Amino acid sequence: MSTYLIRRLSYMLLILLAASFLIFALYALTPGDFISGNIKLTPERKAELRMIYGLDQPLLDRYLTWMGNALRGDFGISLAQQKPVLTLFQDYIWNSFLLAAVSTFFTWLLAVVIGVLAAYRQYSWFDSLVMVLIFAAMSIPSFFIGLFLIKIFAVDLHWLPPGGMTTTGSNAEGWAYVLEVADHMALPAAVMTLLGLGSLTRYFRSNMIDVIKQDYIRTARAKGLPERKVLFTHALRNALLPAITLVGFELPALFGGSLIIESIFNWPGIGQLYMKSFGLRDYPLLMGFTMFIAVLTVVGTLLSDLLYRIADPRVNL
Amino acid sequence: MKNRVGFASTILLSSVLFLSACSNGAAENDGASASPAPTASAPAANAGAADSAGAAAAQAEGAIVASDLSKLPEAAKKRTDTIIVGLVDPSGAFTPYFQQSGYDGNVSSLLYTSLVLVDDKGEPTPGLAEKWEASPDGLTYTFHLRPDLRFSDGSPLTADDVAFTWTILNDKSYDGDSQIPALGIKGAAAYKDGTAAAVSGIEVKDPQTISVTLDKPNAAALVLLGGDVLSKAYYGKDYKQGDLGYMKQLSSSPLGNGPYKLEKFIPGQEVRFTANEHYFGEKPKTPHFIYKTSEGDTWQYLETGEVDYASFSATQENIDKLSALGFVNIVPYTPSTYGYLQVNLERPALQDKKVRQALTYGLDRQSIYVDAQQGAGVVANIPSPLTSWAYTEEGINAYPYDLEKAKALLDEAGWAEGSDGIREKDGQKLKIHYLGSKSKNTDIFIAVAQENYTALGIQFEPEIFADFNSLVSKVEGGDYDLVSFSTPMLTDPADGLAQFVDGEIKGFDNAAFKELYDKGLATTDIEQRKAVYKEIFQLLNDELPVIFTSYRKSVYAYNGRIENLEISPFYGLAVSLPNWSLKDVQ
Repeated sequence: MSTYLIRRLSYMLLILLAASFLIFALYALTPGDFISGNIKLTPERKAELRMIYGLDQPLLDRYLTWMGNALRGDFGISLAQQKPVLTLFQDYIWNSFLLAAVSTFFTWLLAVVIGVLAAYRQYSWFDSLVMVLIFAAMSIPSFFIGLFLIKIFAVDLHWLPPGGMTTTGSNAEGWAYVLEVADHMALPAAVMTLLGLGSLTRYFRSNMIDVIKQDYIRTARAKGLPERKVLFTHALRNALLPAITLVGFELPALFGGSLIIESIFNWPGIGQLYMKSFGLRDYPLLMGFTMFIAVLTVVGTLLSDLLYRIADPRVNL
Repeated sequence: MKNRVGFASTILLSSVLFLSACSNGAAENDGASASPAPTASAPAANAGAADSAGAAAAQAEGAIVASDLSKLPEAAKKRTDTIIVGLVDPSGAFTPYFQQSGYDGNVSSLLYTSLVLVDDKGEPTPGLAEKWEASPDGLTYTFHLRPDLRFSDGSPLTADDVAFTWTILNDKSYDGDSQIPALGIKGAAAYKDGTAAAVSGIEVKDPQTISVTLDKPNAAALVLLGGDVLSKAYYGKDYKQGDLGYMKQLSSSPLGNGPYKLEKFIPGQEVRFTANEHYFGEKPKTPHFIYKTSEGDTWQYLETGEVDYASFSATQENIDKLSALGFVNIVPYTPSTYGYLQVNLERPALQDKKVRQALTYGLDRQSIYVDAQQGAGVVANIPSPLTSWAYTEEGINAYPYDLEKAKALLDEAGWAEGSDGIREKDGQKLKIHYLGSKSKNTDIFIAVAQENYTALGIQFEPEIFADFNSLVSKVEGGDYDLVSFSTPMLTDPADGLAQFVDGEIKGFDNAAFKELYDKGLATTDIEQRKAVYKEIFQLLNDELPVIFTSYRKSVYAYNGRIENLEISPFYGLAVSLPNWSLKDVQ
C-alpha cells in the first residue's frame, strides 16, 4: 500500500509539472495579451507596460519565473483586479462551493431514489415517464431553463429573487442570513440539480438493474426479507459501489464553479471570475485557477482509487 | 474526453460572454446586443457635482415620464434612503489611475471629485479647483484649489497632494493607463529615469495654488491634469521613487474626497457607499448608494425593483417595453464615443483615397447603423463625438449610400471589373478582409456589407472573433483590411484624434493634419480651437484614414421616484448623483 502511494504521488507530481507547462504555454500563446485589449493605450505605452509586466520575455523565462514563485507559495497578483490571486480565490471559491455542494447533494439524493425506483419497476409507466423527463431535462440548454425559471418565479410570481446571493443592501446576520442565502440559492441549485440529475439517475438505474438480477438478491427475497430491506440494504449498497469512483471526480466540480449558471443567476462564484479573466488575459489568475483545478483533479482521482479500496476489500492496490 | 470538450466550450463561452461586457469600455460598435450593460464606461476616473441647464433641455427631447407609479415593485417602494444601480463588474481596485477596468472607474468616480470637470459639451467647469489660468504661451497651468478641502477621513487636501498625484504618475513603475505621463510635464522624463528627485515642472506656490509647466503646449492638459487627487499622507507614506508596488495593497481601501465614501465592498455582489461628511459640496440628498454587480441582462432587476436605474440600447423595442413597465422614467443619452472601421493603410489598394471613399459611398451605413438598430444609432462622418463642443456638420461630406458614385471612384482609381465580376488592377483582385467581434451588430454589418461590396465588384471576406484580445492581436499583426472599432469615452476633441498621430493607425502620414493637430492644442481659447477642429474634421472627412461609422444611442430607465436625475455624456451618472432624491409615493 505505501509503495503504491509513493509511486502514485510521484506520478502525480510529474503530471502536474507537465500540466503546468502545457497550461502556461496555452495561455501565453493564445493571441492577444493583457495589454492588447486596452484601446486607450498608445503603441509606445503598450510596449512600456509589456516590459513592466514582463510580457516581452521569452515563454520559457516567463514560465520559470511563475513556477519559481509558485513553489514559494506566491501565485502573484491579478493584473486586472490588483489583488493577490489567493485572496481572490478566498473571496469567490466558497460561494461556488456552497452552490455546488448543495446541488450535488440533491442531485445524488434524487438520482439514487429515482434510479432505484425506476430500476425496481423497470419498463413500468413510472420508469418510462422518468426516463422521458430526464432526457428532456438533460437536453434543455442551461441558460434557457435558467432564464425561464427567473421569468416565472422571480419576475412574474415574485416568489424568489432573480439573482445574486443576498438581497442588495441587506445587513442580515445569523439565521436571517442563512434564510436569505437559501432563498437566493433555490433557483440556481434547482437548475444545477436538474441538469446533473439525468446522467446520474441513468447510472444508478442501470447499476441497480444489474444488481437486482444477482443470485444473492433472489436469496434475500427467498428467505423472506421485506422488499424494502432487500432493495435498500442489500441491493443498493452494491449498486452504489461503482459510484464511489464518481465521488473523486466530483471534487474539481465542487470548487470549479459553473460558468453558465453563475452568470445567469449573478452568483458571485469563481466560474464568473475565471470567465472574465480569460477575456482579459489575466495570466496570474488564469494560471492559479487552472492549476488549482488540475491539483483537485489529480487528488480526486487518487481519492477515488483509495475509497474503492476501502469500500471493496477485494480490490488490491 | 468529456473534460476536454468541457474545457474547449469553456474557452468559447468565456470569450463570447466577455465581449458583451467588455470592461475597458472598449471594443466594438456594440449598439444593441451588449446594450444592457449599465453605465458601460464612464471615464475611468472623474466625477463631481456640476450641473448645467443645457443638459436638462437636451434631455427633454425624447424623454418619457413614468405613467403609473403605483406599478412600482414593492422592493423599490420600501427603499427610502438608498439608491441601487447595476454595474457589470466592479473588481475592487478603487484607486483612480491605478485601476484596469472602467467599472472600477465608475466606483471611484463617486469616491473622488476631479480638480476640473466638464459640462455636457465638454467645456471645463470648476471641481476641486475653483479657478485656473493658462500662461499666454500655453505651457504653464496654474490651479487654485477651493479653501478648506478635506479627504473623507477629515485630513486637509492641499496643493501638496496634487503635486504628489502628478509625480507618482510619472514614476517609472507606474503601470496604469492615465494619459498624464504622455503629456510631457517639464522634468518628468528625468524623474522617470531616476536622475531627478522631483518633477521640476510641478511647483507648489502655496497650499491652495499649484502650477505645472509642460514641454509643449497641449490644450487637453487642463482637463487631463484636472483629474482626481490622491492623498499624499495616505498613498505616499510608503512611496520610494521607482517603486509603486505597495499601491496594490491600498486599492480596496480608497481614501477619497468625493460626495460618497466606500462603506463596504462585497466581491461579486455589491459596492456600498455612504455620504461623505467632509465633501466640499452639498451633502448628497440620498445618504446611501449601492452599485450592484449584475452581469449581462439587467431587465429582471429593473422589473423586480432590485435596481433603480439601468441603461439600454435605444431601440424602439426596448423603449416600448420600458414604457410598458409604467414606473420608470426614460431618458435618451448619447455616449461620447464614435465608431469607425479601421482601414489597413499599409495595403497598396487602400492607400488610395479614392478607394477609401468608394468603400464609404458604397456602404449603406444608414441601413446598418440606424435602420437595423431601430433608430438606436446615428451615422458618423467625423472623428468627434456627437456631444462635443467641437462637433460640426459644416463642410462635412455625409457620404450617403451611392453605388454609382462608388463605382465611378473605383473606375477612376484604375480598378476595372474582371471577367468574374471582381475588380482588378495590375493582376490583383480587389479583396476586403474584414474583422469583427462576435455580436449581433457584426452579423448585421456583414450581411449588408457583403451585398454592398459584391455589387461594387469587391470580394468581401469577413472573419469573426469571439474574443476581443485575439482580434486586436490580429490587427497588430497587420493581417486585415477593415476592422470595426469604437473609441473609449472621449472628453477633449483632441482625444478622438490621438490615434491618428500616436502611431496606432499605421501608415497615415499627413503633414497638413499634423500641423493642424498641434495648432488645435496650442491654444486654450475654445472659439479658436473650434475653428481648427472644423478644419481638421473637414480634412479627415475627405481623407478618410478610417471609415467613420456611427454614434450609439442609449436610453436610461430609472425608478420614477428619483428626482433631479441628469446624465452627462462624459461622466454618466456620477456628476448628478448627489442631487438625486427619492420622492414619496403611495
